[in-house]
Amino acid sequence: MKKTRLFLIGLMGSTLALSSCAGFQTSNSDESTVNEDGKVVIDFWTFWGSEIRRPVIEQIIADFNESQDEIEVKHTYLPFGDIWTKELASIAAGDPPDVVINDINTTALRGQEKQAMNLSEFLEEDDISERFYPELWNATLHEGDSYGIPFNTDTRVLFYNKDAFEDAGLDPEKPPATWAELEEYAAKLDVKNGDDYERIGFYPRWGIDFDVWMLNAGGQNYFDENNNVQIDTASNLETLEWLKTWQTKYGDDVINAFKAQIDSQQGNPFFNGSLAMYAITPTFYTQIRDYAEELNFGVAPLPERESGSGNTSWGGGFVAEIPEGAANPEASYEFIKYLTDVDAQEYWAVQNFDNVANIEAAENAAASDEFTEDGSMVYQMAVDNMEHTLLTPVPVIAPDFTSYINPNVEEFFLGSMTAEEALAKSQADVENLVDNNSQ
Amino acid sequence: MGKKRLTMRRKESIYGYIFVMPWIIGFLAFTAGPLVFSFMASFTNYNITSQMDFVGVDNYQRLFTEDSLFWTSLWNTLYFVAFSVPLTTIGAILLSALLNQDIPGIRFFRTLYYLPAVLSGVGVYLLWMQLLDPGTGMVNLILSWFNIDGPNWLFDPDWTKPSLILMKMWSVGGSMLLYLASMQGVSKSLYEAAEIDGANTWKQFRHITIPMITPVIFFDVVTSLIGGFQIFQEAYVMSSNGEGGPANSLLFYNLYMWRQAFENFNMGYAMAMSWILFVIVFVLTLINLKLAPRWVHYEGEEK
Repeated sequence: MKKTRLFLIGLMGSTLALSSCAGFQTSNSDESTVNEDGKVVIDFWTFWGSEIRRPVIEQIIADFNESQDEIEVKHTYLPFGDIWTKELASIAAGDPPDVVINDINTTALRGQEKQAMNLSEFLEEDDISERFYPELWNATLHEGDSYGIPFNTDTRVLFYNKDAFEDAGLDPEKPPATWAELEEYAAKLDVKNGDDYERIGFYPRWGIDFDVWMLNAGGQNYFDENNNVQIDTASNLETLEWLKTWQTKYGDDVINAFKAQIDSQQGNPFFNGSLAMYAITPTFYTQIRDYAEELNFGVAPLPERESGSGNTSWGGGFVAEIPEGAANPEASYEFIKYLTDVDAQEYWAVQNFDNVANIEAAENAAASDEFTEDGSMVYQMAVDNMEHTLLTPVPVIAPDFTSYINPNVEEFFLGSMTAEEALAKSQADVENLVDNNSQ
Repeated sequence: MGKKRLTMRRKESIYGYIFVMPWIIGFLAFTAGPLVFSFMASFTNYNITSQMDFVGVDNYQRLFTEDSLFWTSLWNTLYFVAFSVPLTTIGAILLSALLNQDIPGIRFFRTLYYLPAVLSGVGVYLLWMQLLDPGTGMVNLILSWFNIDGPNWLFDPDWTKPSLILMKMWSVGGSMLLYLASMQGVSKSLYEAAEIDGANTWKQFRHITIPMITPVIFFDVVTSLIGGFQIFQEAYVMSSNGEGGPANSLLFYNLYMWRQAFENFNMGYAMAMSWILFVIVFVLTLINLKLAPRWVHYEGEEK
């Protein structure tokens, strides 16, 4: 009796011990990097799992796998909310994927933290930097070395309703070119019925926000190349005051009600003509195509603050990078080269109606006969607008600087701070952050 | 005789250890290691992937003296805990008192009020974002029927935390169930005796029900206090871009810690933050435990 009990206890103990060991083993089981055909296996992580994007990226991968017999790329889809924390954990564990799609504006930071591999070694042998828009390429650099290859991008443009323009006695082929014209046109396009608006001409903080308008007005980022903070500027002050005049004009109730409709996507007031102009990414066209096929619209660059100040717009995008510690960086780089070359990029651009980083591919896509007339018009504008588009890569010295600006500007729009106070405080707080971080 | 009892006891303690074994192994393997590691790494500039140099108490010093967002996030969290814990506790007690009545269809009402506890997570937050929408939301619509001009809820920094507290009040069903179970366990004879003595319903509630359920109140206060300090998801989902806005009014402690760790890659700094939070919660829980004997009544306990 006693013996059986002891035996049982021993059995339970050893089972527990074994099961806990098993827990450690599975995670790091050496996934073979070479498959049975002798090909190098590349694990490629993306967050493109939607019905539209997934087939496109998987077709590109299949084409690459067909095109040569050395490398076999395997696609792993991870949700947008998980992919980069998972990547971080896998780099720390020494078992990272081979290629990952990541945010372009934080590429330099990952380079500095040694999460992304320095690609200079490959670029010296085979320089592909000329393929891309220079603004995108520069965003991938940290101390002169590239840590990611640009894949796709975006920009901000002005959509306007041509029928509404005619209705208000404006020339539908002449979109507003300056802030003054924007105000003037918007006033003409407004249709007021009692306290409610039947049509709103334009509101600058739907689709984009104050940061893009500041960029548009001043043509410069919050940081110059030497990391000097330039937030408390005359141009930014003017921008905030200008945005406030729009807020005062329409009033918070009207703004909130329209904003809720915009957030609901299908109910966007631009589709039914109750919003005449709307600044947003060119990919907004796909929503017009899907929800408001009949809409007669045009597209233009963002207006300039004043004639000659420039139609500066803002963009972001994604890069393909090789995590530090990846097993076969040469093979990874081969695949990235294919991914960012003309064929793959053009295919992505046309199938997804997305801006791509490769200049030649973007220009080919604009001329693609797979697009409708409207589609080509918008895509051409997106391509042309790249010339005015700035990126805002985060400075490695103060990656979280926006949390020291946005709250103050929000207080300004809520009325609890003046524009001068908000900018002065932001300037001081960000300078303080830079100082603390550089100690 | 004495010897035999000892072996019995020893056997029982061995059985006891066997039964808690899975937990102990889990604790040692998955919790204790990381715990010790995070304490040590809180004195370094650990960035997860490439650096881990000893920096002394630098992280702690910067938190207390240089980091304004640390204080903002701590204040926001304290505000939330100070209101949400008492309000949800009182709400749950009152609700379970109502649902403890013996009327037809009570099961239906119990199910109804428990439902929010079943639905949890992001779906509920998105639902509340729609309900609280200032222009088109149901909450302000209903307020407007009474000629009340509803606030801007999640868009007004003064109303964002009350919005979350309101949402928490809606889902008190979970702790309601605990109180209800405890109330059902209160002996009927106590109420009968009180009724014969002429006590009205309020007096019965105040002098019988409440004292009898104090152990559950204590448990609920301790756990929801700890849970309250860990608030993260609500702010992450319900503020635009998960930034904790507007005007940093939803920047809770854990949200800020998460951002330091996974967006700025200041993992050592974030670990220092987690230890400060640990000390705060630990001290509050100790105070709770010390105060407990004064008001918590255990049946069969000798006073």
